Amino acid sequence: MRIRRVLVANRGEIALRIVRAAKSLGLETVLAASVADRGSLAAREADRVVTLGPAPARASYLDANLVVHAAMATGCDALHPGYGFLSERASLARLCEDNGVAFVGPAAASIEAVGDKLAARRLARSAGVPMTPGSAKLASAAEAVAFASEIGFPVVTKASAGGGGRGMVVARDEKALAAGFERASTEAQQAFGDGTLYLERYVERARHVEVQVLGLGDGRVLHFGERDCSMQRRYQKMIEEAPAAAMPDGTRARLHKAAVDLLSSIRYRNAGTVEFLYDVERDAFYFMEVNARIQVEHPVSEMISGVDLVKLQLEVAGGAPPQVDQRDIVPHGHAIEVRILAEDPARGFLPCPGRVTRWRPPHGEGVRLDTAIEEGSVIPPWYDSMIAKLIVHAPDRAHAVGRLRDALDAFAIEGVATNLDLLRAVAAHRDFLDNRLDTRWLETVFLPHYGEPQG
Amino acid sequence: MSDIKPRDIEALLETFEASGWSEMRLKIDGLEMVLSKSADARPAAGAAGFAPPAPPSLAPVAAPPPAATTSAAASGASRAGPTPEHWLTVRAPNLGTFYRAPKPGAPPYVKIGQHVDADTELCLIEVMKLFTTVFAGVSGVVRQVLVEDADLVEFDQALFLIEPAPAA
Repeated sequence: MRIRRVLVANRGEIALRIVRAAKSLGLETVLAASVADRGSLAAREADRVVTLGPAPARASYLDANLVVHAAMATGCDALHPGYGFLSERASLARLCEDNGVAFVGPAAASIEAVGDKLAARRLARSAGVPMTPGSAKLASAAEAVAFASEIGFPVVTKASAGGGGRGMVVARDEKALAAGFERASTEAQQAFGDGTLYLERYVERARHVEVQVLGLGDGRVLHFGERDCSMQRRYQKMIEEAPAAAMPDGTRARLHKAAVDLLSSIRYRNAGTVEFLYDVERDAFYFMEVNARIQVEHPVSEMISGVDLVKLQLEVAGGAPPQVDQRDIVPHGHAIEVRILAEDPARGFLPCPGRVTRWRPPHGEGVRLDTAIEEGSVIPPWYDSMIAKLIVHAPDRAHAVGRLRDALDAFAIEGVATNLDLLRAVAAHRDFLDNRLDTRWLETVFLPHYGEPQG
Repeated sequence: MSDIKPRDIEALLETFEASGWSEMRLKIDGLEMVLSKSADARPAAGAAGFAPPAPPSLAPVAAPPPAATTSAAASGASRAGPTPEHWLTVRAPNLGTFYRAPKPGAPPYVKIGQHVDADTELCLIEVMKLFTTVFAGVSGVVRQVLVEDADLVEFDQALFLIEPAPAA
């Protein structure tokens, strides 16, 4: 490999994961930490730690100049951004490129090409990837109604200038659309200074599915199967599975091909995920977006495909792409990941930083825990509240769910509030066992009754 | 005190490493050294948690705050000996490269023994060609420069010791 020493520009479990993967490849590691993370497990396992700045992320982990300066000053020839923070900033990738530091991720130009929503849709269209039927910009409510009659209700209005739910109105008939159009436009105008709307078909019962890919840098793009991440709260994933068991094999094969075609078209390099909406009733999938980084939920793909994606990332970045052929990647079994958060579901999911006074993780066959927490660890208040990822693997989904329930029951955490009880309740729910889920199940079916007395 | 050399400290470290002791505290004149093998437990066991930032240290030992005077001895400071408690430490605002002079070859902003005011420039911290000026922040006399020119410094790293002027 052409790289020797990697700067890890992240924290928590992913920093530790990267440090360990790099070490197993014989690479040296430098952790760039905020002052709050100097004593972290990743800091202790890295060969060297440098303190970037104070605890708040904007003065440490979110400062691209600081991070690249730290890499250069410590003699690093590669930089791994992890997920979150700066991981999808084209500016960081470009800063690395300009200064001879190998960015463990896509080229800056690729991040730009997939980072902008409309640009990504254009890319998907030209690669022949299916998208939700949608309109161009609409001038009036009458135009919207005419278009909706063509593609069929329900539809959803979307703001051309931004997302986050602003300017989004779901309409099930002409009357509702005519009434909602002005409201949505005004909302978009207020939020983005631009009231332009377009229309998309609304998928009532959608699953979130995504394909894990790895571009080798020479134009070849491998995939490692798909994941189903429908268990979400406020667009935050809580449980992820691989494979998407509810999807027929034929659809699955087309999904993989769509993801590979999309990223091959820009000779995408390194790890990435192509996200789709899956319409269960129509058995159709639609492109949503590309995440140009390693994702939180990558372990479920590793469990079913038997690879180490972070090692592969480093090998690709080091100019030594793995000699793996798509035919060698054979999925086996079923994997489920749950995100353990230091949040209190009983108090509106309020983050609960503090000291972990008791930490008894589960062990056993098919159980994996990705975490940087130990008994006595302090969860600082400045960052994301995810403290661990519990991953189980079994020959099929039913056994994986059983293993998950046992592992959750065995897990003991004290000192901070967590979502462990909620996860236990979800894992025991009939709909989860039967895999009758969609992206709104948690919020509309489960949570309204959670906490009520049983019986 | 002045006859304790880095080699002596290394020897002490080796002795400690090889021993079955979990902790060693040593006081010779002004030198105070605390060695501990429970580095693993330190961030968690320390009652203060992450509140007081520990001075960046690449040494294999956990030096608890306040910074032991070993740092002064190890950095080849201009004046060995105990640091009077009322001296103030000027610290790095973030990670970067430390420069004592405005440009290469120019005389340094300040010298040992020089009087400074709160708004006196002490050094530059460079991050990817962006320079930040560090000011004294206090009126007094520069007593020690703890970092070599062009060294990488980390957030909160001690750069200068200043003896404040007596209150008028």
